Amino acid sequence: MSAEPAKNDVSFQEHEEKQEWWWIAEKRRSKRLDYLRKAVWKKGALGGNYAPGIKVDLDGPKLFTDMWRFWKFDPVMMRRAKSLAHVLDNIPIFITDHSQIMGYWGSAPHTISWRVDGASMVNEELYNEPGVMPEPEEESLRKVAEINDYWAGQTAVDKLARILDPEDAVKFLSGAIGWGAPTSAYGYSGKNYEYFLKGERGFEDIIADIEKNIEEAEEKCVGTPGPDILPIYDRIQNWDAMITVLEAAIRFAKRYARLARTLAENFETDEKRREELLRVAETCERVPAKAPRNLQESFQLDHFVQILSRFEASEGAWPARPDYYHGPFYEKDVLVDKTLTEEEATDLVGEFMIRVYEVGGFGPRWAREGMQGITGTWVWTIGGVKPDGSDACNALTTAFLRTSRLIRVSNPTFAFRWHPKVKDEVMRECFECIRHGLGYPSFRNDPILVANCMNWHGHPIEEARTWVHQACMSPCPTTKHGVQPFRMASATANCSKMVEYALHNGYDHVVGMQMGPLTGDARTFTDFEQLFEAWTRQMQWLLSLLVRTVNLGRYKDPEFYGRPFLSGITERAVESGLDAVSPVGERGNCWITAFTWVENVDSLAAVKKLVFDDKKYTMEQLINALESNWDGCEQMRLDFVNKAPKWGNDDDYVDDIMLRCLRTMAIHSRVMRCTSNNTWPAAPQNVSGNIHYSSVVGALPNGRRLGDALYDGGISPGPGLDKKGPTAVLKSCGKIDHVSDGRAFLLNQRLSPTQMAGEKGYQLWRAYMRTWADLGLDHIQFNMVSDKTLRAAQRDPEKYQEVIVRVAGYSAHFVDISRKTQDNIIQRTVHGL
Amino acid sequence: MKCTECSYEAPVPSFRYLYNVRIDASLTLRQCPQCQVRLVVDELAGEATQRLDDGDAPWGKSAGIEGLAEDAI
Amino acid sequence: MSTCSECKSFFSREDEQGKGDCVLRVVDPRQAYYKTRPVNPDGDASGCESFQKK
Ligand code: SF4
Repeated sequence: MSAEPAKNDVSFQEHEEKQEWWWIAEKRRSKRLDYLRKAVWKKGALGGNYAPGIKVDLDGPKLFTDMWRFWKFDPVMMRRAKSLAHVLDNIPIFITDHSQIMGYWGSAPHTISWRVDGASMVNEELYNEPGVMPEPEEESLRKVAEINDYWAGQTAVDKLARILDPEDAVKFLSGAIGWGAPTSAYGYSGKNYEYFLKGERGFEDIIADIEKNIEEAEEKCVGTPGPDILPIYDRIQNWDAMITVLEAAIRFAKRYARLARTLAENFETDEKRREELLRVAETCERVPAKAPRNLQESFQLDHFVQILSRFEASEGAWPARPDYYHGPFYEKDVLVDKTLTEEEATDLVGEFMIRVYEVGGFGPRWAREGMQGITGTWVWTIGGVKPDGSDACNALTTAFLRTSRLIRVSNPTFAFRWHPKVKDEVMRECFECIRHGLGYPSFRNDPILVANCMNWHGHPIEEARTWVHQACMSPCPTTKHGVQPFRMASATANCSKMVEYALHNGYDHVVGMQMGPLTGDARTFTDFEQLFEAWTRQMQWLLSLLVRTVNLGRYKDPEFYGRPFLSGITERAVESGLDAVSPVGERGNCWITAFTWVENVDSLAAVKKLVFDDKKYTMEQLINALESNWDGCEQMRLDFVNKAPKWGNDDDYVDDIMLRCLRTMAIHSRVMRCTSNNTWPAAPQNVSGNIHYSSVVGALPNGRRLGDALYDGGISPGPGLDKKGPTAVLKSCGKIDHVSDGRAFLLNQRLSPTQMAGEKGYQLWRAYMRTWADLGLDHIQFNMVSDKTLRAAQRDPEKYQEVIVRVAGYSAHFVDISRKTQDNIIQRTVHGL
Repeated sequence: MKCTECSYEAPVPSFRYLYNVRIDASLTLRQCPQCQVRLVVDELAGEATQRLDDGDAPWGKSAGIEGLAEDAI
Repeated sequence: MSTCSECKSFFSREDEQGKGDCVLRVVDPRQAYYKTRPVNPDGDASGCESFQKK
């Protein structure tokens, strides 16, 4: 199903000149990819609301709840395994015309899934959400109410909320300082890819290993009595649960095989499609039961695993390294055996991404607003090195980059692990994606991040080199002891509150309560050290509260939730019989997502300069102005913006404050410990928390008012405040030690598409990237869409549906994000290189 | 301050503050409590200068763009 | 009473006696697809809008 090559078509040149890349993509992709791409029901919310036609799936929740109620005497792992198996055996499944990769988390293409056992708060929200109930609405509402009644008080978060310290719980739930739910079991999960995705084993092999373990364990249980055999009884139950769900997964795949065969034999008249359907049937009979033998089977195994994980626990991220794990099959099929043409392979690669783009679950409003236009931050890792340090890029790396320009999805996106051995041809492919306005791949400095993994969590170098993005930014190995099956979800800090509380004695004027410790009335501070001391105490308090909460969530998750499927694909759990949720045997790979960080630095610098150094204003005047949201103090506000040094201009006055803040926080990161007794480094980045928190963070001395978007990146300068050019930005950021000052540091940059045109543009960018690498920054990403296009898209969104921009840690279609976010992106400084 | 659309007059803070995407500028967006229109406000002068429509660029070009080729904007 | 097993959309499972799948064509505003769910061959088809006699 190839599209006509139209390289000489004059209209292509015109569209290229106008940078209308979406138009070109549409014409260049195959008819199959065009159909499949347009067939997707977008699940990302626009302005917090789901698109018309999107309905919540009630089949899965009903099947799950029915079985959960039925098996009420089983331990949590087995109960979940049986309930999940019931869903997998009975939920409606479908095969979209022209598709070759199977699996969807829901009962129809337009449905979003609903995690009933996560949090009652979310369940209540669903009941009240307009427009998402399937028809007849009244009947659906009745079903939801019944399900909600059952789960009230016994979801994972409900159970945890009962044992949290009440003060911590109230402060956390205020929404002012943290983001996310205080649990990790049904959040993000890292995957032990080294165990199951190397083409070495299928689920039948894992089941055989587990059966052997059970046999040995059972022998011990009839042996000499003693304390050592007591834990074995629970482990046998866990192993049984893993087998139950792995077998259900194999049956689930076989349902697709059966449907494909039925269609081929009874419905399909087109010979070519018949063959495809029979290949689909063969593929789904093969995987996940057995190890994959070719690219289609390898993709299919991976996709089934991802879908099954979501059936088990939603999952908010999609850690993956597709070129590394599927690359050997691509090279074998396309380059060696030639069983696939490049065009056929492109169809598979494109569909592999489209199948991900269509996935979506119901999320609470704060999550929808925090991730405008998408349903999760699904950052796929490509490039990088192999465990021996050699270049891991392969033919599939470039195939993914090329195909992403054809299908232009905003999820998943790529993050490219750059290292000095990356070939120029691969960098050119990366650059083309940016030039086409995708906003991805982002670039990660591999040697720096490998060192970072070793520094913070003690991963050995060979394991550190397997790292994938566990969510948007933080690297996590995919090995037996290196993988952290869960992101510690609620350790997402609204860091601007640190300086806000330091200035208001711990009181939050926005939510109207005493939040942080009493660190003194800032009106009485007489020097900068007093302010910094107050800031330090607020920072320690804020991070400790979030970490305490999520540590407890992780510790209790095996009891409150349980993940038999994830355990069944995690070597550590298969070996030990412990739930993968258990931190036993794991090194720990935690991080605090530090939202809204740079405001601390610019605010502290502004107070130091204008109050304590220049004595132009008093603390009394400043606190009064902040309390009035700068109303009636416009000239003073402008002074705090323009007469104080700002981060990102290579000015040591403020850059030193950045380093001091980071290093003070890094000390605390080593004091706080995770469930594996490891560290809690911070990763400044924003997802789109800079917009979400705009109405939560009060006025600050950097000149912002309550309501203004916060700065967009983890260490990006404020929009328009980086006045000294791109190299100055890099130099400021390069003063940070990206190995030991934190876990990862997000930097957004905006470039001019006209300046980046042609070979000259590429060479300019390469030189810039060399400086980036030399200065040791760990991350950078680019927006390269002109103001003209973005303004036109604001005026006429229908015509510009496919324009993609980099928001913060993710990309989104420009028309799917709020006006405030759009304006914020447009006002980011465009740097001429 | 006076609304440019419905002429409603009140002190600036009575107009609901929306946002300012360039904190180095004294230009903000506020909403008229009477006709709900989004207004572009010069905070130094305490004056509403225009209503905001889709695609309007009250803060002008992106920062940094002045040094670049004209067609980049 | 007509049953699922008498319906055009019903396909019995070769490897599982007494079990079957209902396979239907769906065309929604964005895509066309075939969907399936398990049904009991003796299931009551009298209330089913999609029933078509074999
Ligand atoms: S459920 Fe309806 S359409 Fe499906 S097999 Fe039974 S009678 Fe036929």
